[in-house]
Amino acid sequence: MCVRRAIPLLIAAATCLSSMFVCADAARDIPAVLVSRQLFVSEKMSVGDVVTIAADGAGTNAHRFRVVGSYEPVPDPMRLGVVRREMRMHLPDLLAMSADPRDPLAMETVDAINIAAIGKKSRDRIGDKQDAAASEAFAKNLAARIPGVYARPTAVSDDRTSPFVVLERFHLAIAIVTVVASSIFLLALMLMLVDERRSTVGILRLIGYRRRRILEYVVVEGLIIAAAGAAIGVVIAGLFQGGVNRFFQWRYDTALVFVRITPGIAFRSVAMAVPLGVLAALASSWTLLRREVFALTRR
Amino acid sequence: MIGRAFVFAGRNLLRQPGRASVGIFGIAAVGALLFDMLLLSRGLVVSFRDLLDGIGFDVRVVASDAAPRSGPRLSDAENLTRQIAGLPQVDEAVTVRMVDATVDEPRSHWTIGFELTAIDPARRRPWTIMAGADLSIDSGQGILLNARLADALHARPGDSIKVRVSCIADRAALAPATFRVAGIAEFPFDDERWLSAAAWTHGVLGACGGGSSVPADMIMIASREGYGADGAVAAIRRIRPGLRPATNEEIVARMQQQGFTYFRQISTVLSTITMLFGFLLITVLLTVSVNQRLGEIATLRALGFSRARLAADIFWQSVLLVGTGGVLALPLGYLLAQWLDRILKAMPQIPASMHFFVFEPRALVVHGALLVMTAIVAAVYPMRLVSALPISATLRNEVVG
Repeated sequence: MCVRRAIPLLIAAATCLSSMFVCADAARDIPAVLVSRQLFVSEKMSVGDVVTIAADGAGTNAHRFRVVGSYEPVPDPMRLGVVRREMRMHLPDLLAMSADPRDPLAMETVDAINIAAIGKKSRDRIGDKQDAAASEAFAKNLAARIPGVYARPTAVSDDRTSPFVVLERFHLAIAIVTVVASSIFLLALMLMLVDERRSTVGILRLIGYRRRRILEYVVVEGLIIAAAGAAIGVVIAGLFQGGVNRFFQWRYDTALVFVRITPGIAFRSVAMAVPLGVLAALASSWTLLRREVFALTRR
Repeated sequence: MIGRAFVFAGRNLLRQPGRASVGIFGIAAVGALLFDMLLLSRGLVVSFRDLLDGIGFDVRVVASDAAPRSGPRLSDAENLTRQIAGLPQVDEAVTVRMVDATVDEPRSHWTIGFELTAIDPARRRPWTIMAGADLSIDSGQGILLNARLADALHARPGDSIKVRVSCIADRAALAPATFRVAGIAEFPFDDERWLSAAAWTHGVLGACGGGSSVPADMIMIASREGYGADGAVAAIRRIRPGLRPATNEEIVARMQQQGFTYFRQISTVLSTITMLFGFLLITVLLTVSVNQRLGEIATLRALGFSRARLAADIFWQSVLLVGTGGVLALPLGYLLAQWLDRILKAMPQIPASMHFFVFEPRALVVHGALLVMTAIVAAVYPMRLVSALPISATLRNEVVG
């Protein structure tokens, strides 16, 4: 009797198990697609979801794809503010979905072919230190051999027009103006400081201190103030960089890093600030040191 | 009394020319940067709006919110254009297709790629002829080249060039077709390196074997006088709810939200920093000046100068420093804007006729208002010091100290 009751249960379990295997097999047959994080979140997708995608708004030749994961699109500063709703799929799947059946070459046509050059002496990829001349020659040779193909090296010889380089130059220009304004501010402060010390310098001169020694004090003081100020500035910038990056990454929904304080940048900032500070101290003290001692001590 | 206080403040500043000049130059430097940031905050928007309005079309119809050539295209474009052109709110409607084309340059053996616009303009021509003749019905397979493309191809008006056209990305290009260079034109949306051309639609579609089934990138529409762009957009949405017509103002607003947002952000940040800088500079200058003149101020109070009179002296010193620096900031800011604009225009895909720094009277008014506010706020603390100064204690300290 227990066996008779168990048989329908066993059959049901076997049916369920076999249908699960069939479903799993069917799911494996559905091609995979990777979805950008922005699209993944906005459409509330999950890994394993099956989505239907078409190449036009009318839904022509729609295909089903299985979402296997999400990815972070490569940040593009030229597309700040644009929500990156993108997908990545295997090329045959894209061609099957988007190819025009009337075109016999549709399944053989792509927009671009990326080529990685190999060095002559070694079989390694040339990589980041790409020989621009070799790439250009290859592109020219390819274009000449295959009419209708437009080949060009990705690393252009004149990099001045890259958006990154243009923005870098713009930021440098703004930094120069800011440094000039800061130097004027510092000069104003030093002038006032020097004015307050007029009588002190006069007394030092009266008791025998030479101009050169007082100048050394001024230079060392300017050096200490400038170095301390530059160091504090670098520390403040380092503290702020995390907040600035987090704010703009949230604002633009991007992984782009907006501010990065490197040792090179810190060194350049200090190297620029310290001489300017010393120069400001010297410039402000110059008239004081040139005056006669009695002019300094006169009330 | 205001006049006397003003003159008195001027004399006080002239007594310390070094300090006064440094303060003025400091304000001039930060004021120039502030002025430029105010120009930058709306410069691209103003420039882009002028560019769109200058073409003569005030409505554009596209298939999606994506930029042209980066999203879906308009199918059945010819019928759609005819339908839109028939609306009473529409004066002219033109289909625009932007396709890839190449020419094999015989001297260098380079294949030169460029963007070819297939268009059938009527009265409004979205380009300016620089040499040769415009496209006309009689010109046959005519083509207009921009100056850079003409230089690259060593082509002049009247020359023939063989162009290979690819209208649909996933279709192979046919054999090249011969076009006759009608003229050299300036296209408003070209950047400084862009190679582009324009030709009649039938010529381009014939060259790529596409026919009228080739989808269009956009339809440019000029609204009829009396209805306006908004009227045309409403009419188009009534007949075709699935389309995305947009007025020039809407396109500018969209670009402001997406493409130009970085420059708005940076102009806001730098404007704030420069104002803070200016405020600190003047406050420190005036405060230290007051601290160094405490005896003099106490003496003047003892002689009968009122608190208000001496506070006014400080106030007018602040106004003179900021005002003089602010006036100097304008020519300095103009020169700085030219320099920064030249740097930024090197960016790719920025039309050559667009500018990042565009003068508007509004920017001048805001600049003046911000400087006035800086002058007032910077003077508050030193004025308070002067007003609260105890006369007898200060005079005693001067004698004893």
